[in-house]
Amino acid sequence: MNRAIVATTLRQRFTSPMRVALLLFFSVPPLLGALFMPAAGLSLLGDSYGAALVFAAGMIGQDVSSGTLQLLLARPVRRSEYVLSRWLAVALATIAVVWTQIAIATLLLGARQAAPAARDVLALAGGDALLALGMAAVMALLSSLAPGLADLGLLLVANVTATALGAFAQFRHWVALARGAQEIGRFLKPEVSLAPMLQGGAVSWFEIVSWLSTVTLCLALAIAVTNRWELSYASS
Amino acid sequence: MTGIRIETLTRTYRAGQVRALDGVSLAIAPGEVFGIIGPNGAGKTTLLGCLLGFLRPDAGSITVDGHAPDDLAIRRVTGYLPERLTLDRWMSGAGFLAYHHALAGLAAASRARDVAAALERVGLDATAGARAIRRYSRGMLQRLGLAQALLGDPRYVFLDEPASGVDPAGVVLFRRLLNEARARGATVVLNSHQLDQVERVCDRVAFVSRGRVEAMETLAAGAAAARVLRVRAAGALPTREALALAAAGAGAELLEVASPLARFAVADDAAAARLVAALVAAGVPVAEAASEEGRLERLFLEGPAAPGGSA
Ligand SMILES: Nc1ncnc2c1ncn2[C@@H]1O[C@H](COP(=O)(O)OP(=O)(O)OP(=O)(O)O)[C@@H](O)[C@H]1O
Ligand SMILES: [Mg+2]
Repeated sequence: MNRAIVATTLRQRFTSPMRVALLLFFSVPPLLGALFMPAAGLSLLGDSYGAALVFAAGMIGQDVSSGTLQLLLARPVRRSEYVLSRWLAVALATIAVVWTQIAIATLLLGARQAAPAARDVLALAGGDALLALGMAAVMALLSSLAPGLADLGLLLVANVTATALGAFAQFRHWVALARGAQEIGRFLKPEVSLAPMLQGGAVSWFEIVSWLSTVTLCLALAIAVTNRWELSYASS
Repeated sequence: MTGIRIETLTRTYRAGQVRALDGVSLAIAPGEVFGIIGPNGAGKTTLLGCLLGFLRPDAGSITVDGHAPDDLAIRRVTGYLPERLTLDRWMSGAGFLAYHHALAGLAAASRARDVAAALERVGLDATAGARAIRRYSRGMLQRLGLAQALLGDPRYVFLDEPASGVDPAGVVLFRRLLNEARARGATVVLNSHQLDQVERVCDRVAFVSRGRVEAMETLAAGAAAARVLRVRAAGALPTREALALAAAGAGAELLEVASPLARFAVADDAAAARLVAALVAAGVPVAEAASEEGRLERLFLEGPAAPGGSA
């Protein structure tokens, strides 16, 4: 992990007008909801998927196509270090935003005499953090494979394919294929729902192991891909 | 420190269709300022790409101080200025240098001071340093790029067309910075089309064409070098025969007469001095006698097969 890359990526993400505008567009309305419809509680907030995409899009591919990577990788920085630092920074940026949103919503709900249970706040915040780390890993892989913002396109294609496969499998009653499509979907959105666990229910080891393996696999593949790159002025 | 060793390096693109480097062998000594010149598409940038470990050779080998070129120990002591400079446009110039200062693993304690000094070194003031890179002019970008390459006084400096887009004052400044790098013992590899600059800063120059080193020129040896002396007379020159005779008597050779100019081939400084004395003795009103520059230009235009200007 490289502190300079993490810090600079955070600054880059939070000073990009486009990304900040998108974030405000998606995260302010739910807060207004908390203010005016307190009965709905925290459920209005959704998860960290959108924020993760806003921060993650182009996390590696844009460095490749802009050409800034040439200078960075001429420095004593391992490519794995670069990938992991970008991943962590994107995830941290997402977590910072969604946690801020949760904190504000909790305060607003409290002011409207509808304060959520601490357990629910924790479950939401924890789940959002795990999803942010997971999505950042998925996007690190996709972004290492495609230039610019094309990682978003790859994600869309993969999701559409998984959905179509799932529908087709359901229609033909092919259980194995349906199961496979579901797994792809889980891979494309690695999350762990903490609510049942915090409410004293059983710990879903399957979800935890599946999340861990997705994150590890995505990061390992992203590192393998970047290690194979050759950099020249025509690299994009 | 063993310097840079390149052995029979071959590199192709597009599954072998483009042979960008074809059996290049070079040994660059520590502390040497080495120039690479050659026509567009000759393979100069590809060679730097291999030197940095960005491109994998098809065959042959490169070592820098005995290490692989992508060894982090070598990266720590290397500064690089790419041909197509794209910097992080959203950063300020000073922020960019601070970032690279950190990436290079230089001490955080001296960061602010080093960044200010680096900006000043390339003629950018604090106001320019505070401005966003996206508002930089072409030459300012190039200056910032060079400041970045020289951060921490690296032992190896690889520059691809460093002076492109830079104003004349900048060109002079860059030359001074390269001479400073040489003075502190850095090994510099420089690609450039500005032959007069190359001629003035480099110790040795390789002429690369179609992926091969076609010629090698040593420029450093001033006093001992054979060269062409251009003589301008204040009035009319004597006959060609008289000039040739005077030259032969001084151990020089008359190459060309176009009154009031004449060109002579001389072996070294002493021969040049003898020639001037002989010309004056023969009644030539010598107004000016100067070594002809442009050795590299001739190499470029006439190719290595033609006589290189020295007799
Ligand atoms: N990534 C690439 N893919 C395909 N061909 C390439 C690539 N990079 C370089 N080439 C080709 O390799 C040859 C050498 O290119 P290179 O950039 O090394 O030349 P150069 O000497 O630096 O030229 P210039 O003086 O114009 O900068 C050229 O024919 C070029 O088209
Ligand atoms: Mg080039």
